[in-house]
Amino acid sequence: MSATIDSAALGIPVELGQIGRELKKLWERDGGVSTRASLINFAVYGEGAGSMDANTQLLMELTRHHACRALLVGYAPEPPQPQIRAWINAHCHLSRAGAKQICCEQISFLFEGDTSRRIANILFSNLDSDLPLYLWWQGEFPEPIDDQLWAWVDRLIFDSQSWQNPKAQFALLKESIRRSRSRLILCDLNWTRSLHIRQAIAQMFDHAENLAMLRELETVSILHAPGYETTALLLAGWLAGQLRLQLQERADATLCFQSPEGNKIAFQLHPTDGRSISRCELRSRTSSLRVERDSDGDFFRVEVHLPGDRIYHHLLPAGSNSTASLLLEEIGGGGRHRVYLKALGIAESLL
Amino acid sequence: MPQPCTVVIFGASGDLTYRKLIPALYNIAADGDLPAALSVVGFARREKTDEGFRQELREAVGKFSRQGLNAELWESFEDRIFYHRSEFSDLEGYQRLAERLEELDQDRNTQGNRLFYLSVAPSEFGGILEKLAAVGLNKAKEGSWARVIVEKPFGTDLPSAESLNQVVNDVFREKDTYRIDHYLGKETAQNIMVLRFANSIFEPLWNHRYIDHIQITAAEPLGVEARGPYYESSGALRDMVQNHLLQLLCLVAMEPPTDLTADSVRDEKVKVVRALRAMTPEDVAHDVVRGQYAAGSINGKEVLAYRAEDRVDPQSMTETYVALKVHVDNWRWADVPFYVRVGKRLPKGGTEIAIQFKNAPGVLFNKDTSAVGPNVLVIRIQPDEGISLRIQAKRPGASLRVEPVKMDFHYGTSFGKASPEAYERLLLDAMSGDATLFARRDEVEGAWKFIDLIEQAWHQNPKPPALCPYPAGSWGPPEADALLERDGRAWRRM
Repeated sequence: MSATIDSAALGIPVELGQIGRELKKLWERDGGVSTRASLINFAVYGEGAGSMDANTQLLMELTRHHACRALLVGYAPEPPQPQIRAWINAHCHLSRAGAKQICCEQISFLFEGDTSRRIANILFSNLDSDLPLYLWWQGEFPEPIDDQLWAWVDRLIFDSQSWQNPKAQFALLKESIRRSRSRLILCDLNWTRSLHIRQAIAQMFDHAENLAMLRELETVSILHAPGYETTALLLAGWLAGQLRLQLQERADATLCFQSPEGNKIAFQLHPTDGRSISRCELRSRTSSLRVERDSDGDFFRVEVHLPGDRIYHHLLPAGSNSTASLLLEEIGGGGRHRVYLKALGIAESLL
Repeated sequence: MPQPCTVVIFGASGDLTYRKLIPALYNIAADGDLPAALSVVGFARREKTDEGFRQELREAVGKFSRQGLNAELWESFEDRIFYHRSEFSDLEGYQRLAERLEELDQDRNTQGNRLFYLSVAPSEFGGILEKLAAVGLNKAKEGSWARVIVEKPFGTDLPSAESLNQVVNDVFREKDTYRIDHYLGKETAQNIMVLRFANSIFEPLWNHRYIDHIQITAAEPLGVEARGPYYESSGALRDMVQNHLLQLLCLVAMEPPTDLTADSVRDEKVKVVRALRAMTPEDVAHDVVRGQYAAGSINGKEVLAYRAEDRVDPQSMTETYVALKVHVDNWRWADVPFYVRVGKRLPKGGTEIAIQFKNAPGVLFNKDTSAVGPNVLVIRIQPDEGISLRIQAKRPGASLRVEPVKMDFHYGTSFGKASPEAYERLLLDAMSGDATLFARRDEVEGAWKFIDLIEQAWHQNPKPPALCPYPAGSWGPPEADALLERDGRAWRRM
């Protein structure tokens, strides 16, 4: 029996071998009223037929900001009969000037039964040629991974926060990428999640006077929501990596580092209800920096204490941690994420 | 508008007549470009009446014509179609054909102009041409013309091509011989010259100074279908590279002709063929990859391995995939490799030429631009004929982030009308006496000379290069990827 899905949201059902032709017809019927736009191939892999409706909604939102050819892949292993179905659709939005509809194509695939090894071929044969391929892999990576998947992927997006065993997942992923000799860029939404707090912290040290705090740093305390320990570890890994700290030992929630000058610095992670990262506080003997997220606001309240009882307050944007926002940040960001890899190296040793 | 004439199709009961030739003539008529006095005579062995033949063709046009079937137009069109039953070897049949053509000249005012279309196996060419000559149909009356169109394959190697050409040229002069390569009739193939020579922005860059390399790809998801026996004797190299892909390569690589006459254009193409660097057996082992599809899946469906296909040798060594690195040894293309690949059972169908330019110096942006990729000009021959150009652009925002964007031109949408089928253009040209889009004898023989060296390295070598398997539905064997990887390049994504 086939999985039940809301195929209306997915658009027109098409035969797998006729997708290109049907897309062409779709645009010909449009008669030039809309402009088809695409900057990247954005593939989304989710498990279960149910993921397809939610992802279609998400893609509708994403295409408003970022023109792409969306390739939605749903995998439902339960049905005993192997079957692959496809649909095409277009997400159209008025341009900023309001005069022209800008449309992005969505091609959806539902792989049912024992069909997972066909995903790479079908995905790769429906790309918009010569444009980069971003693959958002939702959930856990299966073992073994089809290494062929990475052959054409430029950016692999995932969320390590959702993994049951991040250490094993990172090891599995890295080994598979090494085997495939892919040069893809790892994009962890869990890292993106801490972008604004990292920016807020870094920004405070644009002032040369505040740098003394880092040289004399004694403690770092991070408050994170239960289930977001990896987010906090990546933040800790970032701070440690940027300050060139060496891990000495881990005792429960306290991580002990040593600075290049030989100073001991204790990082403490506190699970607390609230935002993924609700507070990060850096303290030295004479000064401190606290970045705290409003419980229901969109800003970080930043408080800097400097010697001589000087206190400064700042309000900085905290962004949104919705999945769509994180994805847009990641798609619109770019770069090779060298800082992430450095932070990840430290975070992995703490997992 | 071409002159009135009679088109005689030998092998009229074959697939090509139903799928391509008659739909093409019908579409030309629908576009108003067919002379009113044109007649068509189908020559074949099977017993059939004019009426029966017309009825079959009506169904075929309804199915294969790009403009569908208009009943009113068909009624006027079918009056011009006749069927002539005869064995190819029966001289009497040709005598009757000559009489019938005379009658048509009188009845339909076709003015003694004849276009003979040999839609038969090359082994039949000699017999048919000999009989045509015997009854004098190869010679036109004063003020009229007689031409012959020959379908590929033009031989299986250089000696057989020379022999075949001799057979044809013994009966028809070279200027009246039209060797059809339907790729040349495609709108985008014709547009290559326009793109290069009617736009001032491309030609100055069209050389080794600015072009890193060129890729020509002809991919198809289909297997050999019912053509097992034919394919066993040809393989991908002979079936596709010797003719279609080398023709495209010539159009991309040639120098500007002095004018657009057939011989001026073909002279320049021949120069490219002559400049192809001949391959030694060592070059073949190093620069050519041959593959054969194993079982796999296409569009989600399991498909058989080549060796398990109908009427294919289970131990077959025939290649269904070829990738090769070709050098054109002249000033323009010094050190610019042309990577050519063709394959069956690949995940996606399409024929494309990609001109990959050299990377811009990245120093200004303090980064390696190769990370985002070079400029690529893609000429899509089929399907969805068109041209795209990939350029780098700054993403809006405070930071300087460079991203590739693609400017795309689609024939279908830009000109608001579908491109004519290749056969429409080629038949019209042959009727009009324009041989520009047809292969000349020296082009064909030059291409065979180049291809034969590869075939010999494969089949007459005590240690031939391996035949590399690839799963159906993949983009070919890993060895083909390695061919480019070792040059620091990669096949582009189609």
